[in-house]
Amino acid sequence: MVVERDLRMFLQYKFLIILRTIWFVAQIGFFGLIASRMVVPDLADIYFEYYIAGVIIMMLYSASVFIGYDIFEEAEHGVFEYLLSLPVSRRELVFGRSIGGGIRSFIFVGPLIAISLFIIGLANPLNFLIAFSALFLFAFGVSGMSITIAVGLKSSDRFDILMGALNAVIVRLSTTMYPQAFVQDANQAYAALTNFNPVTFASDLFRWGVGIEKYLTMSPMPLAAIIGLVIFFSAFTFVGVTFYERRLEGGGWK
Amino acid sequence: MRAILHVVEHDFQNFFRYKWWLAGLISMNLADLFIMALVYNQMVHPDIARQIVSYFSFFAPGVTVIGLFASAYMIGREINMEVRREIHHYMLSLPITRLELAIGRLLAGGLRGMMYMSPLLLTTFLILGFPTVPQLFVILGALFLLATGISGLSIATAVSTTSLEKFITARGLVYYVLFFCSSIFYPLSLIQTLGQEGIMPQPIVVLAELNPLSSGTDLIRSFLMGTPTFSFYMIRNLVIFSAIFTTTAMFAYMKIIERR
Repeated sequence: MVVERDLRMFLQYKFLIILRTIWFVAQIGFFGLIASRMVVPDLADIYFEYYIAGVIIMMLYSASVFIGYDIFEEAEHGVFEYLLSLPVSRRELVFGRSIGGGIRSFIFVGPLIAISLFIIGLANPLNFLIAFSALFLFAFGVSGMSITIAVGLKSSDRFDILMGALNAVIVRLSTTMYPQAFVQDANQAYAALTNFNPVTFASDLFRWGVGIEKYLTMSPMPLAAIIGLVIFFSAFTFVGVTFYERRLEGGGWK
Repeated sequence: MRAILHVVEHDFQNFFRYKWWLAGLISMNLADLFIMALVYNQMVHPDIARQIVSYFSFFAPGVTVIGLFASAYMIGREINMEVRREIHHYMLSLPITRLELAIGRLLAGGLRGMMYMSPLLLTTFLILGFPTVPQLFVILGALFLLATGISGLSIATAVSTTSLEKFITARGLVYYVLFFCSSIFYPLSLIQTLGQEGIMPQPIVVLAELNPLSSGTDLIRSFLMGTPTFSFYMIRNLVIFSAIFTTTAMFAYMKIIERR
């Protein structure tokens, strides 16, 4: 029930879906296409496809984060009290929200994944299925992270800014836009952070799933990336749920 | 004149209320420059690297223009909010003529963009070297034209709709088309080459050439990096863009908010 409600709420944000679709088209139609002509010959052959896969993960990340904004909206309009009065345990409520946040981001990104598969192609359907299933962990984990931060901060302004800054850093310090080898050449510290970034795990996994295996960061694939995502998912879903549950009592979210 | 200054002052006070938003924006701009551009430095094809010195240097003026655009466009969001909450009735009741009000808001939007952009421009100077005094005046003048034009574009969009969603969607469309279809991220010559090869449609190439963001960015590059070569077309594009959107915004603001 909680998951279903969050899915219905997301479909109300039609403008957001339109906006993100425009962004996707601009990213691949302009940046991806032009940048693939700008990079070194060794990378140029695959960069367009490599970049499309990265854009999909960026979209999945930003759609999963959106659940945090819903929480602030509900707190502002007094919907929170109503939700707490329902015959649903706190744990079920929070867990349902995390799962709902992840699933709805998949519904949003699903058609874009289909477009990207049409452009990139699909080398091995089984690999893709494994990667696709594991990416749910990524989406649930990001939703859990967003809920944890939203409840921890209590201010929609601060949340908005922190998520913007976090998005800027977490996406750029990952392999969504460029392979790890080039990050390593640019800066050792950046490279170290890139290695432990869940966005890197998800990007690598998606690329492995669609058959872009050159320039993968993690080894052995897909095990290394899946383990990374399981740790990320567990940390932010279960720890986040516990944290959220405690905050909910006695009006702690206000 | 006094009335215009009052309006500008009012909008500047509003601007400082968004200090956290501005902090977030600047962190994104700096992440683009100090992370993304540094990594792309390693990835750029040697032939292109020879044309642009280094991607990091090439992108610094681009980040300056991105910052200018985002902050100058903010005035539209405030005006759209005023229209939705009917605060514009109060604005219209002030002892200020409609024209003064419109000019004040347009100027405030542009000046706020200039103020936000200043630290980014200074960072660009520190990376690429300082221009001569006449060049500095040309750069500041050109960026002011760009900022008022963007402010005008934003105001014209904001008063055209009472829906925040439609405004945000229109803003997104303008942002992405103008940003990605410009020389902010890649040299204009690369887009032109793709056009000649038939990969990029010709209207897109023309849009990139006439795009005021391309002109503003390339003007800074021409003075600080020597490439591309300075051309009066850059100034012409900015003057035309600014003239069209400041005029449109003034008339739209005066006429539409009276009707609502």
